[in-house]
Amino acid sequence: MSTQKESTDTEAVETAGVDYDRLEQLLGDAVIGRESHVNAEGFVVRADAVQDALGTLKEEAGFDHLSLLSAQEYDDRFESIYHLKKYDDPTQEVSVVVPTSRDHPVSESAEPVFRTADWHEREAYDLVGIDYEDHPNLKRILLPETWQGHPLSKDYNQEKPQVVTLEEHKNPIQDHQNPDDTDTMFLNIGPHHPATHGVLHVETVLDGEQVADVNPDIGYLHRCEEQMAQNGTYRYQIMPYPDRWDYGPGGLINEWAYARAAEDLADIEVPEYAQVIRTMGAELSRVACHMLAVGTFALDIYGDFTALFMYAMRDREKVQNILEDLTGQRMMFNYLRLGGVVWDIPEPREEFFEKIRDFLDDLPEALDEYHDMITSNEIFQTRCIDTGILDADTAKEYGVTGPVARGSGIDYDLRRDDPYGYYDELDWDVVTEDGGDNYARFLVRMREVEQSARIIEQCVDLLEEWPDDEREIQANVPRTVKPEADKEVYRAVEGAKGELGIYIRSDGTDKPGRFKIRSPCFNNLSALKEMSRGEMIPDLVATLGSLDVILGEVDR
Amino acid sequence: MALLPEAIGDLLGIGGTAATDFVAALLGAALVGTLMLTNTALAGPWAKRKITASFTDRIAIDRIGPAGIGQIIPDALRLMSKELIVPDGVDRPAWDLAPFIVAGSALMGFAVIPMGNGIHLADPETGLAYVFAMASVASIGLVMGGYASNNKYSFLGGLRAVAQNLAYEIPLVLTAASVVIFTGTLQMSEIVAVQSETLATVGGVAIPQWFAFVNPFAFALFMIANLAEVGRNPFDIPEAPTEIVAGYQTEYSSVYFVLFYLGEFIHIFLGGAIIATLFLGGPAGPVLPGIVWFMIKIWGVFMFTQWARSALPRLRIDQLIEIGWKGMLVLSFVNLLLTAVIVGVVQ
Repeated sequence: MSTQKESTDTEAVETAGVDYDRLEQLLGDAVIGRESHVNAEGFVVRADAVQDALGTLKEEAGFDHLSLLSAQEYDDRFESIYHLKKYDDPTQEVSVVVPTSRDHPVSESAEPVFRTADWHEREAYDLVGIDYEDHPNLKRILLPETWQGHPLSKDYNQEKPQVVTLEEHKNPIQDHQNPDDTDTMFLNIGPHHPATHGVLHVETVLDGEQVADVNPDIGYLHRCEEQMAQNGTYRYQIMPYPDRWDYGPGGLINEWAYARAAEDLADIEVPEYAQVIRTMGAELSRVACHMLAVGTFALDIYGDFTALFMYAMRDREKVQNILEDLTGQRMMFNYLRLGGVVWDIPEPREEFFEKIRDFLDDLPEALDEYHDMITSNEIFQTRCIDTGILDADTAKEYGVTGPVARGSGIDYDLRRDDPYGYYDELDWDVVTEDGGDNYARFLVRMREVEQSARIIEQCVDLLEEWPDDEREIQANVPRTVKPEADKEVYRAVEGAKGELGIYIRSDGTDKPGRFKIRSPCFNNLSALKEMSRGEMIPDLVATLGSLDVILGEVDR
Repeated sequence: MALLPEAIGDLLGIGGTAATDFVAALLGAALVGTLMLTNTALAGPWAKRKITASFTDRIAIDRIGPAGIGQIIPDALRLMSKELIVPDGVDRPAWDLAPFIVAGSALMGFAVIPMGNGIHLADPETGLAYVFAMASVASIGLVMGGYASNNKYSFLGGLRAVAQNLAYEIPLVLTAASVVIFTGTLQMSEIVAVQSETLATVGGVAIPQWFAFVNPFAFALFMIANLAEVGRNPFDIPEAPTEIVAGYQTEYSSVYFVLFYLGEFIHIFLGGAIIATLFLGGPAGPVLPGIVWFMIKIWGVFMFTQWARSALPRLRIDQLIEIGWKGMLVLSFVNLLLTAVIVGVVQ
């Protein structure tokens, strides 16, 4: 929806505080149109003025967070949408829509303005087929380099199987080994390596033990999640997929990301009672995720499946048991529904609440144990303090969010800044640390567990006292959800790893026209390069661990 | 007390000629070797798992035999029956020799260790020097394995092993030298004999003059340096599973892997034996026979390494070298000087 006609759409845009007319003046003649998305106004910008437009918005209007680039193909054009936000106030959003013609899909790259556009544009090129001019390294990112065609473009043959032979990947070193440069050594860390937390391939150039350059090579776990979602109906068929993104197990938070976007798209109100259950479930998920992060980070630093890893797993297991009671599943919850949750708290309710309270009572002691054994351990401190440093400005350049950003002193948490669910009714704090190093990120996670526990406790209090006759778990949502055609929304929630956003464009059917996932791990991982250059191999491994990437979410 | 080969010669009535002495020595060596290998077999597939499990709130193996101890047999069979994979481009025979050097060198060290009850193969005047020499030969095996494997991870592991051993061997030997200043001899039996004297009597209980009591500082220093010497947390840097996969042993499988694994454990026990001999009075102890006390002591050191492994983070190689050269080396020199001064004044 990039034409002038549609910009006169009278539908109210719920974005307080952004003076779009002033922005339009600011952008000047780069703007060729205007359109309304559910979350923000969009400016249609000439394909050769992207850097100008984004630069102006960033420097002069303070939109310093390129949250997502979503690309798609229409019958008559390709379109890239840059979803911009402010780190200070993420409710202030603006979209920059860049249409390009179908026969010549070339658009100016945003990489010189936002470093994070590097990976986003590579993905758009890879899956949709838009060329970004002036991009430093425009090659495939998720699919193998030898892949033919762009799977999300309209003329791609979905039926034709493609086999990527071993021959083409026989010697991954060949391109990298410069015979004249005998001072450095190229090392493939992964895709099968004990420290990659999944299947990640880190191309590393070493100078002795020092890291001269790293380049994360992702895509080994790409499962076409976006396309699968595009082939499912809003009402029932999409919800199981989010569980497979961040299987940390942040399933409930992932489901919420989809639910939030789809509910805004289809104007569904969620009953308060369901919101409280969602909030509690999401925080339980977050605790489980952070426990996993603590355990695996200890594993990276300690170098073996030592006591700390097992302790963290033990405590995570308690959360998993609670989540299992609530949802019936340990990982693939599929518990949320559009307009609420699938069922109420399990009976007998007292027993369930008792279980949560037991867990919450034991938690401080467990955390003390971690602080005793990990954070106050001097060897641990020598290893983590001042390694893997990410300063706040670089973090913003790379669109880093979540505990990683908060470890760099960026006070950004969507639960508070862009409230959803029941968070703004509850009493809790956003945790930040200023170190920007591995230690700070670790501390942020440990302290966030405490905050999550506070939220869970308040939710349990609320749920216990909720009157019997007001326990509405689902709004009345029609069997088939069909949002109006060409309605677009981008909504994010605060996942365990950061801003987990969903962009949906409806095409008038009961399935999304375009479904795009903004993965926090994807963005956080792209900053690895900045963090680990000049460090030793052990620090590279520790830094990767402190980013807490889940490859299922990076590759989708 | 007679050394073990002589005792065997006497027992069999074959002593006298060089040839029969040689046979008796071989028999004695086989006995000691078997003893240590049995300990290793117990430690590797069973005790290590059980100890780690109790540190980490788990049960570990418990299917075969009491407390799962029978697991040793199927594990041994399993390891022996694996395919020996020889990667392309390995540098043979260096690649084949490395595991034997690692396992063999540590085993050789036991030749001069007095284990009590007459189990003592040889007692040269340079016993202590010999045992350190043998323990250090293992590093050559690690470097050979790392370099010959034609694998970058192995290569890094090999480099790390050398750097680490250089950084820690010197403090280790210097600390041992402070004991030698007390005893005035390198002969192992003498070192043990000196420690059997009484240091003090507290409430009617005689405390022996073990060097752990005489100089606890040197004992602590030696224990730490020994952790690095045997490559256990926080100093398991040459292997560093989360960083360089398995370091120098990345490319080894089947029997070669077993030999590396074995070598590591024998090395830990040799470290324990050196500590027991230098600082804990060797086989000395009340009531129980000497060999039992000796085993208790080396298992105690083994437990200590396992505790460290479960509880301590790993250092980075540059940090380790810094601690080795700037910290441990200085401390061990201070210890050596102070000991020399004190011994000089007292005598």
